[in-house]
Amino acid sequence: MTTADEPGTRLRGEAVEAEPKHHVVVGMLLTAGVAVAFGAALLSLPRAHQQLSEVARYAMQVSLPSWNLTEPVNEVVYGTRGFDTFGETFLLLAAVISVVLLARPREPRTGYFGEDVAGEREQSEMEPAQQSPDAGEREARRAESAESDEESEQSEQSGESESSDDPAAVAAAPFPSKTSVEHRPKTPDNELVGGRGPERAEAMSIIVRGAVRTATPILAVTGCYLVAWGYSPGGGFPGGAVILGVLLLVYAGFGRKRVARVVQPKLMESIEMAGAGLIILTEALGLFRKGSFTANWLPLTPPQTIRSGGVVQLFSGGELVEVGTGLIIAVFALLAMSHDWARDKSADEDGGDDGGDANAEDRENEENASQATNAGGANQ
Amino acid sequence: MIVANYLVAGFVFCAGLYTVLTRRNLIKIVMGLSLMEGSTYLLFISMAYRAGSTAPVLVSPPGGRTAHDLVRGNVADPVLQNFCLTAIVIGVAVTAVFLTIVVRVAQHYRTLDADKIRELRG
Repeated sequence: MTTADEPGTRLRGEAVEAEPKHHVVVGMLLTAGVAVAFGAALLSLPRAHQQLSEVARYAMQVSLPSWNLTEPVNEVVYGTRGFDTFGETFLLLAAVISVVLLARPREPRTGYFGEDVAGEREQSEMEPAQQSPDAGEREARRAESAESDEESEQSEQSGESESSDDPAAVAAAPFPSKTSVEHRPKTPDNELVGGRGPERAEAMSIIVRGAVRTATPILAVTGCYLVAWGYSPGGGFPGGAVILGVLLLVYAGFGRKRVARVVQPKLMESIEMAGAGLIILTEALGLFRKGSFTANWLPLTPPQTIRSGGVVQLFSGGELVEVGTGLIIAVFALLAMSHDWARDKSADEDGGDDGGDANAEDRENEENASQATNAGGANQ
Repeated sequence: MIVANYLVAGFVFCAGLYTVLTRRNLIKIVMGLSLMEGSTYLLFISMAYRAGSTAPVLVSPPGGRTAHDLVRGNVADPVLQNFCLTAIVIGVAVTAVFLTIVVRVAQHYRTLDADKIRELRG
């Protein structure tokens, strides 16, 4: 703050912009109040010489005799306090569902009833202003569909071409990017070093890709190891996070298109639901067979073997699936959020009416059906 | 001196709170929330600490002690470590939700400035 006030630094740092803040005084007062309250509370917390809490001592004592588990933390997570973890799992699921819901792209209408063609004459009589749909809106919608179609287009070019593709429209596309896309090699590894790079950052250099290729199998095995060897520190949560890390590395190294072949929402969501189902089944069977939720109903093997925790290991495996796929879905939904190409209304007069927008969208969908093929160049 | 850890956790929480209250950039507000989450991890792990203790793992107890000594002996609190473990995963998921909302807000309002997003105020 003090250095920024000096005129010398201001001259040099033209890009330095006063960061917008609001309610600074109120914020400081509230934060100070919270700090005082927290300070008082934190100072009276149990310190390092306190005895372990009742729950913790119980967990330590029960871990080896009744679960054959040498890792009390896992026993707490999936055994003694399994109900907490159970609830927390579904909190995670709820978060994932909200991300998917929020990140969902605009869906094209599935059925076309032709009502706006049928009512065109009346429409033009009633509201002549709305006769032509907004050109900007149309363009935006076309760009949006082009962005989402890009992937499928590329795969079509490498493999079979779809019958719905109008060859004349593709040929008539006046943009040169179309051809450069076609000549791009199938895998980034075949791209010439020093050649003209792809227009979008698709893949990183061969050094990064080589490192990713080396690291990901090791990491993936580590993730599974963390879960399988549940009698030593590990478990489903870290394992799932490691699996996410593997996919993020591949994403960073090879670009989204190659990961998107594996991370298909339908597949991932099915796997996640299977994981959630496994967890519910595991816990519910305890209720039916042993009379209490999260009770162990599996035979216990000797300590320090893979199945030594009984139901704990099953829960942990379910959690690996749940956390792994849940985080993958959430993160990739966020990363793949398409641009919302909606018209910037602030440029025109404020507040376009909603009825007109809906009408425009209907026309858009009709257009998308017929003109999807020549939309490839619209995002130039 | 585990109290220092407690106080640092409190400080990090307050830094996050101050960020949330005073910044106008939505991304920075999410970062402030993440700071507040992070402070709870530090607090949980610090509270699990016991002086001169060992990890609550019964696989190979240190110093020739058996696992049964360890059960009655001095170990870090496994319950708080459990809380930390679950809190991290929830933190990631919640941050993802916030960021998704921020992206949608940015696309809808064409700004990240919280003060310019006042549609609810009429």
